Amino acid sequence: MFRIILSCLIFAMVLTGCSKGDTPKVSDNVFKQDWSQIEAAAEGTEVRMYMWGGDDNVNRYMDQWVAPRLKEQYGVTLVRTPMNAPEFMQKLMTEKKANSLKGTMDIVWINGENFKNVKANDLLSEPFVQILPNYNSFVDGNSNNIIFDFGTPVDGKEAPWGKVQFVYLYDSAKVKNPPANFTELAQWVKENPGKFTYPDPNDFTGNAFLRHLLYQQVGVETLIKEGYNPSLVSDKSKVMWSYLKDIKPYLWKKGQTYPQSLTQLDQMYSQGEVWINMGYNEARAEALIKQGVFPKTTKSFIMDPGSIGNTHFLAIPYNSPNVAGALVAINFLLSPDAQLAKMDPAGWGDNTVLDINKLPVEYKNKLDNLQRGASVLKAEDLANNLLPEFTPEYVNWIKETWLSEVGKTSN
Amino acid sequence: MKLVKPQTKAYSLILRYLLFLLMFIGYGVFELFSQSFEDAHDQALGSLGNYELLFSNQYFWDSLLTSINITFSSTIISIVLGVVLARLIYFYLHQSKWKYLIWIPMLIPHFVAGHLILLFFSQSGLISRAFYNLRWINHMSQFPGVVNDPWGIGIILTYIWKEVPFVVLMVLPAYYRQNKQYIDVVRTLGGSKWQVFKMVEWPALYPIVIETALILWAFVITAYEIPYLLGVTYPKMLSVLAYQWFYQGDWSSRPIAMALFSVLTVFILMITFGCFRLTQSGRFRSMRGR
Amino acid sequence: MLRTLSKLILIVTLISIFLVPLCFLVLFSVSANWWWPELFPGKFGLEPWFRIFNQPQIKAALWTTLWIGFLVIMLNLILALPIAKALAHLDFKGKSIIDTVFMLPILIPTMGIAMGLHITMIKYGLADSWVGVVLIHLLPTLPYSIRILRTAFEDLGVKWEEQARSLGASGITLLRTLWLPLILPSIRAIIFLTFIISMSQYILTVIIGGGKVVTLALVYFPYFNSSNPGAIAVLSIIFALLPLLIMGLWELIIRILFPVKKLKS
Repeated sequence: MFRIILSCLIFAMVLTGCSKGDTPKVSDNVFKQDWSQIEAAAEGTEVRMYMWGGDDNVNRYMDQWVAPRLKEQYGVTLVRTPMNAPEFMQKLMTEKKANSLKGTMDIVWINGENFKNVKANDLLSEPFVQILPNYNSFVDGNSNNIIFDFGTPVDGKEAPWGKVQFVYLYDSAKVKNPPANFTELAQWVKENPGKFTYPDPNDFTGNAFLRHLLYQQVGVETLIKEGYNPSLVSDKSKVMWSYLKDIKPYLWKKGQTYPQSLTQLDQMYSQGEVWINMGYNEARAEALIKQGVFPKTTKSFIMDPGSIGNTHFLAIPYNSPNVAGALVAINFLLSPDAQLAKMDPAGWGDNTVLDINKLPVEYKNKLDNLQRGASVLKAEDLANNLLPEFTPEYVNWIKETWLSEVGKTSN
Repeated sequence: MKLVKPQTKAYSLILRYLLFLLMFIGYGVFELFSQSFEDAHDQALGSLGNYELLFSNQYFWDSLLTSINITFSSTIISIVLGVVLARLIYFYLHQSKWKYLIWIPMLIPHFVAGHLILLFFSQSGLISRAFYNLRWINHMSQFPGVVNDPWGIGIILTYIWKEVPFVVLMVLPAYYRQNKQYIDVVRTLGGSKWQVFKMVEWPALYPIVIETALILWAFVITAYEIPYLLGVTYPKMLSVLAYQWFYQGDWSSRPIAMALFSVLTVFILMITFGCFRLTQSGRFRSMRGR
Repeated sequence: MLRTLSKLILIVTLISIFLVPLCFLVLFSVSANWWWPELFPGKFGLEPWFRIFNQPQIKAALWTTLWIGFLVIMLNLILALPIAKALAHLDFKGKSIIDTVFMLPILIPTMGIAMGLHITMIKYGLADSWVGVVLIHLLPTLPYSIRILRTAFEDLGVKWEEQARSLGASGITLLRTLWLPLILPSIRAIIFLTFIISMSQYILTVIIGGGKVVTLALVYFPYFNSSNPGAIAVLSIIFALLPLLIMGLWELIIRILFPVKKLKS
């Protein structure tokens, strides 16, 4: 019995092993073809998109709005695979190590540190954004938001998909006047002990909160111009750590521990354990209010010196088995229709990356008339306070310094 | 029909399974160890660089201490409660359908169990609500912090809830297997319940208990979800620390994570060997006893 | 009297510790707007259920999970039966070391060796396929199966078989009349445990299946990072129901193959 099974397995191994070896690397020339040729090549194919799957609204946008239209208009079947970015990046890295030329991922959803990593390890396809008709027509290819990803030059290796901005959320039933700057925040925290905290800086959002504080202490100009320069920053950041140590005893659980993720902070905010929340994506409260997770009285605010915004991107892995399909799908996701549907406040509510001035009049009007919801700040308030991301090396620097200066020490 | 001796067949079977294991596990462990000697760009360091970094890291030692505390407490408490429960079920619910209730936690994945503990024990959880409505507390912040606490109570509670049924699953067959006559003999000779347990039940349970404890402990020390969900910011448990270093942004901490995994693997192998020695001597002892 | 009372206390304890949390999970799956310090939810509804079942992947994921679980169970039984039998009946020097080595797959940290496993699978051309996922699921399951069956065989002893054989029983009769009834409880335990372990594998399935093999754990795990308690509750309930379904099927098959009378004797 065992022998039969074993030989079956070996047979299967040999069979699949052979077919793997002689796959030609067809993807090379796709980048040099005409768009019409690419569309023709993509028809009837399957595109596998790997993306974080923890938000129902994002998933529903992909499954119920994008997938059927892509199928109908281009004959491309979109398969969404829910997977966390660190895991699919790991997969890609191992495939590279094993010299696998035909992978499974056609599109990956990344930004920031992840992009820096895959770029540095040469895990992406050659530059492709210039091939996409919608990129050429509607995207402002000179904007810093588009050509830099957390300060890393994009070099056409990823296409922008959406933009988010960091905002604080508060329950207006409990907080009458939200703080306007960090000094007022410290005051508020001391007056309302236990009602504020921020996620562990290992978390994306917790780290972003501290980046705002770093901007405040070191100055926006300096941080952007100087690049990564810990010696410069370490001196000026002393005030920042003492600020955090100062408010620590008045935080949730007396600052002895911090929520390990934004999810936990969300749950705590939802139940009123804390009264102020935060997060990337200026419109995310809207859907959560509708689902009965956040209180109806949730509003958002921004503190000085402003609010960091960033762009999230779509990239094609070096070993994508269907480059043509990936290009067609990404181009579709950049179409004005798809971008407008993505902004729907009842759904995802993610901001567009298209340049409003380049859009046809009808879309411009639609965009102007779009109501993003009562919990979302006005577009001009967001735009006026927008701060760029600085270089991702600071993300680790903040994690480590915070731990030794603030996290590890007891009161 | 067949001329091959059944014994030879059996040996070759075991040998082939051993090869299968080596093919997968062996290579995995080899990769792990070799990467713990490389830098972030796969270049061989030719020294113990990553291990020096690891052992000079204060966070590592603090995490190790916490991990040992939490993993041993969860394992020992789960084993004790599991054996007690198995015994109770054997004596009281032998025939009853109610005994199937204990399999419920096995149906539920670990991180959901952690989530359930949060739903019940967090400051805004169900128990805190009950306390408030009973007027025992006036505000949620007065509810004692049982989850995300420095002693890891939340983590230990979750593991107990999940693992006690597993202990019962492993131990119960031993109870069914044991000879009831022995119990009767000790009882007629005037032995107490404790003496019955010590003289009759324990010798039969001993190797299974050690084995189960080993499986549990190895699982708890390498598992990541529950300490992530219910732990504290500092010190984190080893698995969380390793996970963080492994996936951290620019992958520069990855070699240290690999060194940590290697240390953990060696640690587990040492404990495994210790348990193996314990059960070996245990077998002899129980044989001599009879 | 005392015995009945102790029994009652035991049952009540079991219910409150094991069943009550599950009931709350069901409650969470149909409620919203449940704020502190309310003891009851502000709103009831099946909205979380619709959210989950509207996902196109969920049905395919259910089938994939069942299919992979079924294959893993079958392979476990086919492999564990002879290996466990051999281990139970053979005695040789270093046997206890072999025993320990066979337990290693469940002791060594999976995450540490995952990369090595993945490279092995790519080399054999088994990465990104369900065959590979089934094979890799053997690692965390087979040690338990061998361990459980081995104990059963040790209890059974060699003598019974020798006796039956000397009386002229053929292999199949032996299997039907002697083996199966005696090891059936162990097989039931293996099916239960194997399926649960197989369906909860996330990291291994992700790495080896490469996202092409989408099991329920893959759909489920990202919700770990979502703040919607309803969605988590719904998925947990589906998760808990699957092994029960498998057990139900098993009982059905057994009842058909071996009518109750024969089993009891």
